Amino acid sequence: MPRRVDLRTPALLGLPLGWLGVFFLVPIGIVGAYSVDILSIVPGSHSLTFAGWHDLFRDPVYLRLFWKSVEMSFIVSGVVVAFAYPLAYYLALSGTPRKYVLLLVLIAPFLTSYLLRVLAWKVILGNQGVINTFLFWSGLRSPDHPISQLLYSRFAVILVLAYIWLPFVALPIFVSLENLDRSLLEAAADLGASRWQAFLRVTLPLTTPGIVAAFLFVFIPTVGEFVTPSLVGGTTGYMYGNQITDLFGTGFPDWRTGAVLALFLLVVVAALTAVFSRFNRVEAV
Amino acid sequence: MEGEHDLAAHTITRRQLLKAAAAAGGAAVVVGRTGAAHAARAHLAAESGALQVLDWAGYEVPQLYGPYLKKHPGEKPKFTFMTNEANALAKMQAGFRPDVVRPYVGYVRDFATSGFVQPWDPRLIPNFKYLNPVMVKAGQYQGKQWGIPADWGFDAILYRSDKVKPKERSWSLLLDDRYAGRIAWFDDLNQLVWAGYYLGFKTPYDQSDEELKRSQDLLIKKKKNVRMFWSSETDMDNAFASGDIWIAFAWPNDWVLMKAKKLPVVYMRPKEGALSWVGMLMLGKGTPRYRHAHDFADAWSSVKSAAWLENNYGYGEANTKARPSSSDLLKVLQLANPNAVREPNAHIDRYVPRRRVYAKMWEEVKAA
Repeated sequence: MPRRVDLRTPALLGLPLGWLGVFFLVPIGIVGAYSVDILSIVPGSHSLTFAGWHDLFRDPVYLRLFWKSVEMSFIVSGVVVAFAYPLAYYLALSGTPRKYVLLLVLIAPFLTSYLLRVLAWKVILGNQGVINTFLFWSGLRSPDHPISQLLYSRFAVILVLAYIWLPFVALPIFVSLENLDRSLLEAAADLGASRWQAFLRVTLPLTTPGIVAAFLFVFIPTVGEFVTPSLVGGTTGYMYGNQITDLFGTGFPDWRTGAVLALFLLVVVAALTAVFSRFNRVEAV
Repeated sequence: MEGEHDLAAHTITRRQLLKAAAAAGGAAVVVGRTGAAHAARAHLAAESGALQVLDWAGYEVPQLYGPYLKKHPGEKPKFTFMTNEANALAKMQAGFRPDVVRPYVGYVRDFATSGFVQPWDPRLIPNFKYLNPVMVKAGQYQGKQWGIPADWGFDAILYRSDKVKPKERSWSLLLDDRYAGRIAWFDDLNQLVWAGYYLGFKTPYDQSDEELKRSQDLLIKKKKNVRMFWSSETDMDNAFASGDIWIAFAWPNDWVLMKAKKLPVVYMRPKEGALSWVGMLMLGKGTPRYRHAHDFADAWSSVKSAAWLENNYGYGEANTKARPSSSDLLKVLQLANPNAVREPNAHIDRYVPRRRVYAKMWEEVKAA
């Protein structure tokens, strides 16, 4: 007897796969075509060339910028995880009945637009901003010598990105702490472990997947970030993402180089994600 | 069937073609003088739609083309904004067909040869005769008037006179180590041009590879002193007003704004020569609103619009009859000097034969 073909799986998968194809793979293909000059915005004839890719690896200027951005993103992700963990720990394990209210409070600033939150930092960090004005008022610094490094600097970009991403990071850590089997902690206590030992040997290892997921959650989007650095970064906070947007449109367009840089970013991020996922199997989260 | 047979054989009579065109509901095939008259009438009728203007943000205010609205009441032009010339070209390449577009003088040739614009008929612009002849000439390419000069101004250095004491009137102020962290450059490849003038090159708009490398090296070396590369004028003005920066590559407008904020500011013209620029209204190729477009250019060229621009934006206007009410502005814009924008007074922005190379070098400065 012929088996009935089960159409449910293809039907269910069809939409997401179609979506992925049309809105992810095809655009990447188009960007790829620009990177090798099959497509070009320069009028006239053009043919396949890998000159753009060749330039990327021959001339260190863009790669250096890339590593600078990777470094900044690493710092941001690390700082955010370090801040978010105790926060999530308190919310999940302190037993406070208001944990969901507190979680909501944490997310509340996100009801305003991303751009507004970034711009608000300009008001805080500028030479005549909240911090410097306070320092002048308290006599800690003379008005002629404000702390200028607060704004239009790498520091400003890292600070603002960390602020923006904190709740996104707190959530996966919170979830992994929530799912922690409390009886394991009781067992650790019964066996004579101090609270600190129980944390180090039980809680931390069991929530590592959450931490890694949270880290990637921040790292992946921030490495290609361009809005925050363009608003508060100045020359030193200029990131790889800014270069890509400039090449595509803000400056004189050079779509070939822009496409090469964009694809390079994609490949590196994909590779990093793959490496991290090996340490961090999804079912473990 | 006869028609099918003919089509299959790739032979088609004129009558069949006309029939086919009519049947398809497509454009009429116009032949002969009667057709031309028809076309002209159709042309005028088609001119009723809103004029499409591809322009820079800030230039959509009605005071800048008041006479146009008077002549065509209720027909407010529709504005689309461009962020720079390359962006405008990209928009047109993508299929946008504006009736009027405004590149700056350095791009006249690029646009004229792009196939997206056509020359104007100055006879249809009564105010044309009042326009500064130097600028009118700068709008020509191969003997035709591709650009109607409109707004103009300088690229020079704005600084806080209470904080900054320049050693000399020179572009070197934008590199000065004493003011590290207080300097703003413009995010544009023309930074390589002023660097070229500072380094004493003969043709900074067309530098040799070796010269470009030197200009680029200079900018990379001094980038450490630069707080921001501004691309949005508002960003720079805010940073300047709040004291985050004291020295900026700036336009006359910024000087007007800072003076209005009561900041002690000087708009310094470097001894190597300021750069100058002229906005060029250009006519979309095959525009269906040919007359409207000319009326728009004429409105911009009127004394009233020109004076409004000068008084409110602090830029010059090509109409030589227009005068701002402030004598400060008259002085800083050198409005009394009809040769203000050209050599030896200033280096007027011009065609950069190797713009792509310049652009790449500039991107590298930013990335470095």
